[in-house]
Amino acid sequence: MDTHPRALEQTASHLRGPIPDESELTAHVLIEPGKSYGFFTDTTVCIGCKACEVACKEWNNLPADNMGLTGQSFDNTGALSANSWRHVAFVEQADLRGPPRSGLDANTRSGCGHASQGGGGVRGNNQPAYQSGWLMLSDVCKHCHNAPCLEACPTGALFKTEFDTVVIQQDICNGCGYCVPACPFGVVDLSTADGKAHKCTLCYDRLKGGLEPACSKSCPTDSIQFGELSDLQQRAAARVETLHGLGVGNAYLYGTPGAPGATGGLGHLNAFFLLTDRPERYNFPVAPTRASNRVAPALTAGLATVATLALAALALFAAEAPGRKK
Amino acid sequence: MEGVVTIVQESRFQLTDDDGVGHLFILGYLCGTETGQLPTLQRHQSRVRVSYKPAPNLIGNVASSIEVAV
Repeated sequence: MDTHPRALEQTASHLRGPIPDESELTAHVLIEPGKSYGFFTDTTVCIGCKACEVACKEWNNLPADNMGLTGQSFDNTGALSANSWRHVAFVEQADLRGPPRSGLDANTRSGCGHASQGGGGVRGNNQPAYQSGWLMLSDVCKHCHNAPCLEACPTGALFKTEFDTVVIQQDICNGCGYCVPACPFGVVDLSTADGKAHKCTLCYDRLKGGLEPACSKSCPTDSIQFGELSDLQQRAAARVETLHGLGVGNAYLYGTPGAPGATGGLGHLNAFFLLTDRPERYNFPVAPTRASNRVAPALTAGLATVATLALAALALFAAEAPGRKK
Repeated sequence: MEGVVTIVQESRFQLTDDDGVGHLFILGYLCGTETGQLPTLQRHQSRVRVSYKPAPNLIGNVASSIEVAV
């Protein structure tokens, strides 16, 4: 393995301080304002170690929440919340497909190219599901290109940073909660402790300091990759091709331009995913949309209803009027 | 509780007490201290007194007031 040229600059065991532009060493990307950055999460190599969850909590000084056990497999985080900005989902699947029928492979049987049961591809047979019977995914804020939460915010607390990420300014947030239902992914949450909205900042403070986000840096399998968006999208497309070549025909991208997840005017997602099953299996919406798309139809329907009721009332009064004269 | 503010992130901060134990606090919505004031306390390593109550279902406390201890 080639050593990064900049790694040769650091020869001492003890560092005097943070390494300038450390992301060049850890993520092979130089973080510069004015460029788009994001995450590419390859779920096929996620081992569910939750290092990303821990790193996120540690760096952001987030309290542990949801005491106790959920009873849902190994997942005791449950969901993204105001205090959990990374959530490793464990989707346990039973192989209920039965023995393969002649002439049909796993993908054909599952329909529409995505395995509905089991991992598909890796172990597309009738053996008991084990490792390929698990789907693991580290969920996070998608940092949408056209962020619905940002559009819904009346105070301007939500803003686009110079790194094309979406961040909530805590000193401006008034806790109105409009951003919560606006998010099509259920990411933004109000804290019961301080009443304000919280979500992943894509480690805005780290990016400003030339460090890659804590979660991607801690990922031992590079399931979470941080980088410049165009580079990540190319990397992801190549990974899908590789997986298809290896027989995992159900691999596809969620959140890249033109792909599932980047629908309803969202543009694209700065945090996108490589999935091997239907989005619903990972608790992702099939076709997320911007809440603002529904404003015009809702307003039109409301005005039409008011107009219809007004006309009906007028008609009733008009019908009543001659009777009164009698 | 008295101690020194050692870590600040948004409206969350860690108070390290005299025994060196770190305690996580979240600014409550009735707390007079603003998010923007916390980094100053951390930079100056000021000794502060925090009134608080435990946060439900969290390993952390909600700070209701922060005073600079004399």
